[in-house]
Amino acid sequence: MPYLSKIALNPRRRKAVSLLSSPHRLHAAILAGLAVQPVTERVLWRIENNTPHRTEILVLTENRPSWQHLVDEAGWPGADGGEPLLADYTPLLERIALGKEFGFRLTANPVQSVPRPTKQSEQQNTRLKARAEPLNPGERRPRGLRVAHRTAAQQLAWLLARADRHGFTIPEATSDTPAPGLKADGLFAAGPAVSIVSRDILRFNKHRDGPRVTLSTATFEGRLRVTDPEALRAALLQGIGPAKGYGQGLLTLAPVRAKAAVAHA
Amino acid sequence: MTDHAVLVLRLAAPLQSWGGPSRYNRRETRPQPTKSGVLGLLAAAEGRPREASITDLLNLRLGVRVDQPGSLLRDYHTASDYRGIPLPSAKVNAKGAQTKTSPPKYTGVTERFYLQDAVFVAALCGPASLLEHLEHALRHPAFPLALGRRSCPPTGPVSLGLQDSTELPDALAAVPWQASAHRRCQVRGTEVTLEATVEDPAGDQLAVDVPDTYDLKTGTLFGRRSVRHLWVTVPTGRQAAEPADEEAPPASTGHDPFALLGW
Repeated sequence: MPYLSKIALNPRRRKAVSLLSSPHRLHAAILAGLAVQPVTERVLWRIENNTPHRTEILVLTENRPSWQHLVDEAGWPGADGGEPLLADYTPLLERIALGKEFGFRLTANPVQSVPRPTKQSEQQNTRLKARAEPLNPGERRPRGLRVAHRTAAQQLAWLLARADRHGFTIPEATSDTPAPGLKADGLFAAGPAVSIVSRDILRFNKHRDGPRVTLSTATFEGRLRVTDPEALRAALLQGIGPAKGYGQGLLTLAPVRAKAAVAHA
Repeated sequence: MTDHAVLVLRLAAPLQSWGGPSRYNRRETRPQPTKSGVLGLLAAAEGRPREASITDLLNLRLGVRVDQPGSLLRDYHTASDYRGIPLPSAKVNAKGAQTKTSPPKYTGVTERFYLQDAVFVAALCGPASLLEHLEHALRHPAFPLALGRRSCPPTGPVSLGLQDSTELPDALAAVPWQASAHRRCQVRGTEVTLEATVEDPAGDQLAVDVPDTYDLKTGTLFGRRSVRHLWVTVPTGRQAAEPADEEAPPASTGHDPFALLGW
């Protein structure tokens, strides 16, 4: 039975700062909240910065977790509003039906696979050299190299291309009627009902002297319509895109906003 | 008072520069059109030579409304001789020829300031017969019109026509908002409040921008006039926002994944 939890971290505490500065440390701290060790299930999480002066971590786990260690070390232990929220996720999974509309939010790491990047790093150079030998018959062509999408347009196109296989489509946005005197030309045309609300490049070391990880992330927010409930359920539980260990790929659903609902009705 | 009228001008251009008494190699611009600049524009439209008398124009009372304040542009400007010789000095020798600067100065540096993308509405109150003549001249100008400098030609017709009202604040409030489409997109409300300056003998501020002559031989000395600052509210032409629109901003930040979990 999956559980969704929300833990509030106090950014004025040293431990919270240490966790928030490195997705590697935060992932380890989240996995430490599960009693079945070593953790083999898929744990998805995301940092939410909705409220000022506090940071919330949203975690989706398969088993019931305990977040006491995070609250004690990096939250507000014993304070009002400091207790983590923990909710059963099955009601949402049961509500997903064909044609329903939800608001969604997703922080993901949009990447593409290219045969030969224009500017290779050292590791990429060695991999390219290793595969320079001609293929033996029957051998599969090696994978391309994973390169991050870096522009907002590419990141949006990445999500739109993946929507179908994860069982949802993004409907057209309903736009306000333009003010009198303004023509409804291309400037005001409605696009898909999704926007990138924040973009970031995460850079961190896995450990001291360890390899440096660089992730280019984007947070999408918008409206989706269910086209394949089974696939969407899988996407909710398994995540979308790479870097799931580092806080990417957790898709959450919420009621459609009032304005969007009015416009739709 | 029926012999008085108000002539309304729209002063909009990519660049404007309203100098006033700035001197030497730093030529500044005022944030609003000066009386000297506006009267010069009218005199140019009429085709008056520079040494002609402008006493009839000086009696016109000027009011200015800032429809779009624009932004300041600084033009760092150098001047030097292409032959690589020193610049001429202000002195002349016995033969009357200009001497070279000594010690030699090769490059003159000036700074010129402009207003970018500003829109003003200027209203001139005065005798109806004079203003009718000026209005016709603005539509059939004798010399090219410019907003403060010859390099700043106006965008669109300058004259918005004559009004019968006799009070400058009323006349300024009656003119529709003249801001560009880009600025209109930014303003969401149904009305905007614009800054205005009107000439008023009882005003509490002094503006030093009344020219005595435009004659280049004698140069211009600037006199003072009393002005008063006020705010003018004009409609934007936009409908009042629907209540649903006002609820949207708080909802947009509130993506609550727990709302669907029977919480």
